[in-house]
Amino acid sequence: MNSQTLRVAPNPVWIIANKELKDSLRNRWVSVITFIFMLLSFSVTFAGSAISAELALPNLPSLITSLSTMTVFIIPLAAILLSYDAYIGEEEAGTMLLLLSYPLTKQQIFIGKLVAHSGIMLAAISLAFGCSAVAMLLWSEASSAAVISAFFQFIVSSSLLAVTFILISYLVSLHVSEKAKAVGTLLSLWFLLVLVYDLLLLALLVADLGSSSQALVNVLMALNPTDIYRAINLLAVDSPMGSLSLLADTAWGIELLYGLSIAWVACLAMLASQSFARKSI
Amino acid sequence: MHIEDLAVSLQAVSHQFGDFAALTEVDCALQPGQLLALLGHNGAGKSTLLKVILGLIDPSHGQVTVLGQRLSAHNRKPMNIGYLPENISFYDKLTGHELLSYFAALKGVGQVRVNRLIEEFGLQYAQHKPLKGYSKGMKQRLGIAQAILAEPQLLLLDEPTVGLDPQASEFLYQKIQSLTQLGCAVMVSTHELNLIEPQLDVAMVMGQGRNLATGPMDSLVKQSQLPVTIRFDDMIRRVTRYNHLAAFYHNGALRCPVAETESLVEYLTTQCHIFDFEIEKPGLSALYQELMAPMQQNDEQGIVFQPVNQTVLVGA
Ligand SMILES: Nc1ncnc2c1ncn2[C@@H]1O[C@H](COP(=O)(O)OP(=O)(O)OP(=O)(O)O)[C@@H](O)[C@H]1O
Ligand SMILES: [Mg+2]
Repeated sequence: MNSQTLRVAPNPVWIIANKELKDSLRNRWVSVITFIFMLLSFSVTFAGSAISAELALPNLPSLITSLSTMTVFIIPLAAILLSYDAYIGEEEAGTMLLLLSYPLTKQQIFIGKLVAHSGIMLAAISLAFGCSAVAMLLWSEASSAAVISAFFQFIVSSSLLAVTFILISYLVSLHVSEKAKAVGTLLSLWFLLVLVYDLLLLALLVADLGSSSQALVNVLMALNPTDIYRAINLLAVDSPMGSLSLLADTAWGIELLYGLSIAWVACLAMLASQSFARKSI
Repeated sequence: MHIEDLAVSLQAVSHQFGDFAALTEVDCALQPGQLLALLGHNGAGKSTLLKVILGLIDPSHGQVTVLGQRLSAHNRKPMNIGYLPENISFYDKLTGHELLSYFAALKGVGQVRVNRLIEEFGLQYAQHKPLKGYSKGMKQRLGIAQAILAEPQLLLLDEPTVGLDPQASEFLYQKIQSLTQLGCAVMVSTHELNLIEPQLDVAMVMGQGRNLATGPMDSLVKQSQLPVTIRFDDMIRRVTRYNHLAAFYHNGALRCPVAETESLVEYLTTQCHIFDFEIEKPGLSALYQELMAPMQQNDEQGIVFQPVNQTVLVGA
């Protein structure tokens, strides 16, 4: 056999991920998102200094808590804007039909997209909040070990939240008939999960604080990935603040909450890849 | 020829979308090196048929064999097929060069070929600009370049000349010819009959999901009821002189069934000593019109174009 024909072809997953990366990085949203993350990270970290006109960093628990009360809104929104057209966009452009005629599996297309979109979110999150971490390492009283472990878990849980919403966007993107509908559906879903759901949960807590309702609240919380995220970040720093601080003394430890978060990602990934596999042309 | 040796073989292929029959008992056989023109009204099932051949649609009934492989939902081995879907618009943010490189990478084709095709399709000047700024025809050229990247064994083009300028269309058919000479089988779905007529080996005309006729032009013309037209100078005087000719005279020319052409020509030359005549065989367009005529009477879905008689009130 001719040695030239033995050239090792790169894995299609990487080719697709690479293209998605290129495509997304040219998307205005991605730079806007990263910029907003940075802005958020800096303003929360240095807000105290600006007021007192000297370098005064907040303590670690309150920094993480303040950050997470904001990121719980902004990360899902960013993930949605990044990936709402992942499937419906290609369908509208006619490129999905073309890709499926290539020697590729749907699984490879799915994984390629997921790798690229998750990678972008992970990079934006790490970059923006890594800066806060560096500032804390340099100028705060907290021990390096405490700062590193707090930010590590913050970045991990934030990334899990991002991947969850990327997968939710895929599911919607696979089921709608036009891009505009994907955006509309996802923004409503975002509003519901991030705002309305917690208001209802709070109402329930205020109305009745019996032990049976505490168990119900725990279950309801597990059903909303943004609440799991909030709980993880409240528990992780042992903070008594935040609207869901009532949950801080739930029976659920942080490991279980991470487990739930990963279970969400796994279930959504299964669901989305199955819907893609079953989708007819 | 064995089914395994054909590029495409469809046997009684039917497909339903819900309870709508998009394809009904379609048969087709395409040999390597042939160009098949896939014709038919809007909604006839041309694009659906191409998707069935690509294995993108699993037909409800029938047997599909492509490049010697029987297609089924479970059996989709990679094959060297080039495809251009209709109305493709690609990714706005990539440049032309990046787009073609992307598809080349997926097909395991090198950069040399990408650059060559960009040059051949006259896209060098725009290759590093985002596709957002490409015209319809420029995108179409890229789409065609994409389809022939890997020098396919089977090439399926769905309305490739839409948006192309005349030179680009001509170049496309040249390109197709050089591929067929290498043994590539090509199917082109198109409404531009005059462009494909001089190029095609086989025409396949579809109507309402059925295959109305397939074959080389000559045999389709023979099967049809369409007359051959013969013209010569000073016609009326000559026709009145030879009684036998009068039977064929209609509307300023002699018109006779294809089967009788030979004997009529012989009569013209030997009996009437007329040598300066022109013979015009029915073209693809006439053939198409004839095949579509029954469709209009039997058109439950209102798919086939029917002019509506309207009274136009001028200055009312
Ligand atoms: N996914 C689908 N679901 C339901 N009906 C469909 C689907 N795809 C095609 N059809 C129907 O099948 C018929 C054939 O469509 P097809 O696209 O194959 O036509 P066509 O011959 O390519 O037409 P055109 O010349 O307009 O491109 C049409 O009536 C169309 O409405
Ligand atoms: Mg079509």
